[in-house]
Amino acid sequence: MREATPEERKRFYTEEWSKHELPDFILHTLSLREFGFDYGEGPSHRYNQFMTVEQLADFLRNKAPYGAYASVALYEQPSMRKGWLKSELVFDVDAKDLPLKSCGCSGGVVCEKCLDEARRIAAMFAETLRSDLDLRNIYFVYSGRGFHIRATDDAVMTMEQTERTQLVEYVTGGVIPTDVTMALGYSRVFRERIAQTFERLSKERLLEIHGMRKALAQQLIEEKEKVVTAMRRGWLNEIQNFEGMGEKTFQLLLEFLTRLNAELTDGKVTIDTKRILRLPSSLHSGVSMKCILVRDIERFSIENAIPKFAREGIK
Amino acid sequence: MIAPEYVAILDPFTKEAQEIARASPPFESMPQEIAEQAIDRVQWKSSKEMLVDSSAGAVKAEILSFYMMCQGIAAVSYPYSREVRLVTNATKETIRYRMYDLFKRGHEDFCLDVVKRSFKLMRLEHGDKIKLGSVEIPRDDYFKLRDRQLADAGIKEKEIDDRVLPQYVPKYAMRWSDLVLLLRHRRAELAKLYIVNGWAVMTPHELWNFFADFVAVKTEEYIASIYERFSDTGTPTRLLQIGEKIAALVPPEAELRERFMRVPRGRLRPEFFPPCAKKAFGGVGAGARNYAITVLLTSFLSYARVSPPPAATRMADIIKDISIVRDEIAPPISEAAERCNPPFFKDQPQEKASVFYHMGFGMTTEPTLADSGRSKWYRVPNCSKIQVAAPLLCEPDEFCRSREIKNPLTYYYKRFGEQARMGVGE
Repeated sequence: MREATPEERKRFYTEEWSKHELPDFILHTLSLREFGFDYGEGPSHRYNQFMTVEQLADFLRNKAPYGAYASVALYEQPSMRKGWLKSELVFDVDAKDLPLKSCGCSGGVVCEKCLDEARRIAAMFAETLRSDLDLRNIYFVYSGRGFHIRATDDAVMTMEQTERTQLVEYVTGGVIPTDVTMALGYSRVFRERIAQTFERLSKERLLEIHGMRKALAQQLIEEKEKVVTAMRRGWLNEIQNFEGMGEKTFQLLLEFLTRLNAELTDGKVTIDTKRILRLPSSLHSGVSMKCILVRDIERFSIENAIPKFAREGIK
Repeated sequence: MIAPEYVAILDPFTKEAQEIARASPPFESMPQEIAEQAIDRVQWKSSKEMLVDSSAGAVKAEILSFYMMCQGIAAVSYPYSREVRLVTNATKETIRYRMYDLFKRGHEDFCLDVVKRSFKLMRLEHGDKIKLGSVEIPRDDYFKLRDRQLADAGIKEKEIDDRVLPQYVPKYAMRWSDLVLLLRHRRAELAKLYIVNGWAVMTPHELWNFFADFVAVKTEEYIASIYERFSDTGTPTRLLQIGEKIAALVPPEAELRERFMRVPRGRLRPEFFPPCAKKAFGGVGAGARNYAITVLLTSFLSYARVSPPPAATRMADIIKDISIVRDEIAPPISEAAERCNPPFFKDQPQEKASVFYHMGFGMTTEPTLADSGRSKWYRVPNCSKIQVAAPLLCEPDEFCRSREIKNPLTYYYKRFGEQARMGVGE
């Protein structure tokens, strides 16, 4: 992953970029979206509107921007960001910001393993949106460093910050439920999330919990499989029975896992109804990758996101 | 058989209720009993008072007294104040009790029909299996939901009988996305709902609560809209009298609590300012300076800080310490003036006095409480006026649009009120 040169950007937008790679959910609402562009100093050129896809195509070919973005919001007057109509519900799972990385990459770095981890989290979130909340129009976008989940169901598009905050909590498992033992509903989501988080936890991270003794942390890690199974099944008393696990420590453990869950996505992106997101089909010049719509998240291959110029470089 | 217009006693915002209100004489000429009921209803305690018999006259009195109560409180208070909460809480309790009573008397279907006007609702199937559409609800979950409800209601085992139990047994399911208004106002929490396939499973008791909360939120919004109207057109005397009597019923302990919790009257909170005030606060160019600083910002900051009822005309009637004006309201106005291009007061020093003039202290730069009333305390202009006088200041955000804000001050009150519910009080 390396930065694209201005020539490569130009080549990408003149030879490779195609309007057919724009997802329908953007294409059909193109003129209602605000577009933003980055010419090397961040996406500060905002308030752009395109009435047709041809106008957008001409613009991209002429300017070959470092980055291209479109709003999650639809407006009556996108060029003035006036007349907000509604906004997609978005979850941003950035591989570089994952709270736990089993690959050992430091924060801000992305390897194939952390990207796959982000993919798995995105799939898991989408499953909750479908099965619990019955959302039907869910799209995945590979952003260059992670994945965006974009839901366009009418039921969620007019929701505001407070409701979106609650959706982040629900989907990430960011709040401890009243009853952790229910087979269905949020209780199940929470159990699954803490189990997955615990699975990736190291002893060192466990020791970040105030009052966690080394011996107990060691034992929890040694018997990780048992702990994870107990979490999945809601048999939390089995965890409470570990020697040295007082009620307070157990509560702190749950709170710690909940906090890590909440970091699986950048909640600010979800609650910001005027956010601009990297435009699917555009080039992420920082890493020389195409931002693309992912039709099947289980079979995502990064190969599809490599632009021709980078492919030639590999050869 | 229940008459169709009886739905109005459960939801005073149905078309049937609005029809009754429309066909009635103006408040000024309404019978005294209606006015008395408008005051009494905020302190109804017994079931007898809350229930309405099915006669057309009783339903009409119920609806008219409801609207009179709302308009009365809008005349003397401001959105999301403790007085408004007194009214909305009383409304919630009344609606909830009526739902309970109708269920008890076998009119469940009637209640559900009213609920279905605002929410998608279905019943759970209770056969060999408990089913929500095609999904089976595990029996364990079903009983846990029941037990949680009983525990939350503080009902002990020995108190459970055939009358109590059915209220706490999961029976219905509502689309979670229909609960958006309650989620927004934190009267429902997503993670506390039991949601399967987009449906939130609930007991009759929860259904009554959610529906009563829904009517309470709508009441709150209705009062805010009336407050805006009165700020613009003036307040009828009779409503003022009724409002004052209702306001006097706010319990003193609630007053103390609220003063330190949710009431906007207090330190100014710029994070809740509307876009136009923020823009004026950031300083504007030569063409819009005068309007932005002396008209919009001066009135907005003074009203937001002091939170007077719509009928107030003198600041000295509300505040007892001039330092509120000198140390809290005037400095941010001066700072905003300084940020204008060119700096407003440097350019036109006489406008400093104009700021106090617009707050009702006459042309002075050293106001005292005794000066209050020397000039008119200008009200915050409505959005429509701002759009005409200084169109550059008006850039409505999502909140302006979704709440159909017509005045910048209402924006502040509403943002404040909604935020307070999320536990971000002062």
